[in-house]
Amino acid sequence: MIELQNVKKIYPNKTVALGGVTLRIEDGEFVFVVGHSGAGKTTLMRLLLREEKPTSGKLLVNEFDLTKLPNHKVAHYRRQLGVVFQDFRLFPNKTVYENVAFAMHVVGTPAGKIRKRVPAILNTVGLGDKLKCYPGELSGGEQQRVALARALANNPKIIIADEPTGNIDPEMSLEIMNLLLKINRLGKTVIVVTHEKSLVDYYQQRVVTIEHGRVTEDKVGGMFE
Amino acid sequence: MSRYNPFYFIGQAFKSLWRNNVMTIASILILASCLVVLGSFALLVADLNLNLDNLGLMNEIAIYLDPDLEEARVDEIYHQLREMDNVDSITYVSKTQGLEEMKQDYAEYSDLFVIAEGEENPLPDMFYITYEDVSRVTTLEYQLGEIEGISKIIFRLDLAMQIDTFKSGVSLIFIWFLVLLFVVSIFVIINTIKIAVHSRRNEINVMRYIGATRTFIITPFVLEGVIIGLAAGGIAYLAEWYIYTYIEQIVTEKIRMIEVYPFSELSMPVLLGFLLIGIVTGAIGSSISLHRNLNA
Ligand SMILES: Nc1ncnc2c1ncn2[C@@H]1O[C@H](COP(=O)(O)OP(=O)(O)OP(=O)(O)O)[C@@H](O)[C@H]1O
Ligand SMILES: [Mg+2]
Repeated sequence: MIELQNVKKIYPNKTVALGGVTLRIEDGEFVFVVGHSGAGKTTLMRLLLREEKPTSGKLLVNEFDLTKLPNHKVAHYRRQLGVVFQDFRLFPNKTVYENVAFAMHVVGTPAGKIRKRVPAILNTVGLGDKLKCYPGELSGGEQQRVALARALANNPKIIIADEPTGNIDPEMSLEIMNLLLKINRLGKTVIVVTHEKSLVDYYQQRVVTIEHGRVTEDKVGGMFE
Repeated sequence: MSRYNPFYFIGQAFKSLWRNNVMTIASILILASCLVVLGSFALLVADLNLNLDNLGLMNEIAIYLDPDLEEARVDEIYHQLREMDNVDSITYVSKTQGLEEMKQDYAEYSDLFVIAEGEENPLPDMFYITYEDVSRVTTLEYQLGEIEGISKIIFRLDLAMQIDTFKSGVSLIFIWFLVLLFVVSIFVIINTIKIAVHSRRNEINVMRYIGATRTFIITPFVLEGVIIGLAAGGIAYLAEWYIYTYIEQIVTEKIRMIEVYPFSELSMPVLLGFLLIGIVTGAIGSSISLHRNLNA
């Protein structure tokens, strides 16, 4: 469960990115976060990732109180989350397999388990036949699926995707969204920040609209305003 | 930590060293040069000390006894000397022994020291004592003055003091050298690691999102610093070996007055010293660099 109470984020240059956000996301929910450019969507994700701390307010993610989480526990906390970025952020000199395996290696997974799990996850995202490819040899959509597989590797409870389809062809976008929904049906909480009106309208999920650092609308089956 | 394979970290460190190979080689060479300069200076000091000590036991006092002293009195004086706490060693040289030694020292003129029948040996009985602490020699001098039966005391105090000041001066320069070169080396490592971190910053960022611990992220970089230090230590040792043996050869052939340690006698401390300084410098330098460039 994710809970925000009157969360404010003011950057050191005095920009008020979030001006008091109250929001509750239950386990296993699928949520679109929409809003105009500069509304504060990415800032919200960065708070959830504990890349930034809230200036004020309360922010809870599962058993973690992010306003009080000490630095040395951040790594441990982040293992609950899987992140997907607009620009994929894969390791260009590692193969598809190695990219996913590395995420498991980082958290100390035994080699045997890595060898079993990586092909399985890559099958889930439909890349079972591209294990030995390098990211540069893949399309944008395929790279994003590798990123998704990497996000899933350590079996996180929550998936956070900040404009996952921003750099991808429209047809491929649909594929990525379908995958995210499939992942949600497997029991994970999925939060997707997006600009793509047609996708949001098509999927009829919960939509949280943020404008000028505040939640202006929050409804299930919502449309992009 | 224990669940990670140490070879992963070592492999990562070598990969990173290879990726920034120019910087790696440059920093190894700079560090090695610093070590060679430092090592040469240390060896110079060691040889200097050896020669200063050879220069005729500077902390020696010659005590001339009254010519007609009874043996029992000589014994007493010996015991009195032994009681004094600044006295390190005592050697008794009787007048006959003294004469023999002179004959040997001046072998070409030995007939000058032949004493005719019935003639008196002109030499006095003597004690040579060495002391432990120059700074307390005045006390010793006073104590010796109190003993009955001593005709003359010869110190080489001025010279001893001068050599002492000279030695501490040299040590001071050595320490300054050490500090200076240490700072230079640390600085070089800091920059090398900074570049290594910079060239991998995207990777590091992703590792953080994946949930990598700080230890996991920094260990390869610390190892990188240590490997640079070790390599520099090894190279410096080989260079020092070559340089020292070369000089040792010249000195022993051409300037026989000066004695130098053979390199074999110094090689272990030099090697261990170089490797140790290398490791410490590498570890400290990379830690400082990571602290500055990887705030998380
Ligand atoms: N690191 C930062 N320092 C200062 N101001 C920032 C920083 N990051 C974002 N901002 C500002 O905070 C506000 C919200 O930015 P944010 O990136 O959260 O918007 P966004 O909704 O993700 O926009 P977009 O749709 O363009 O990605 C903007 O005015 C932005 O300029
Ligand atoms: Mg954004």
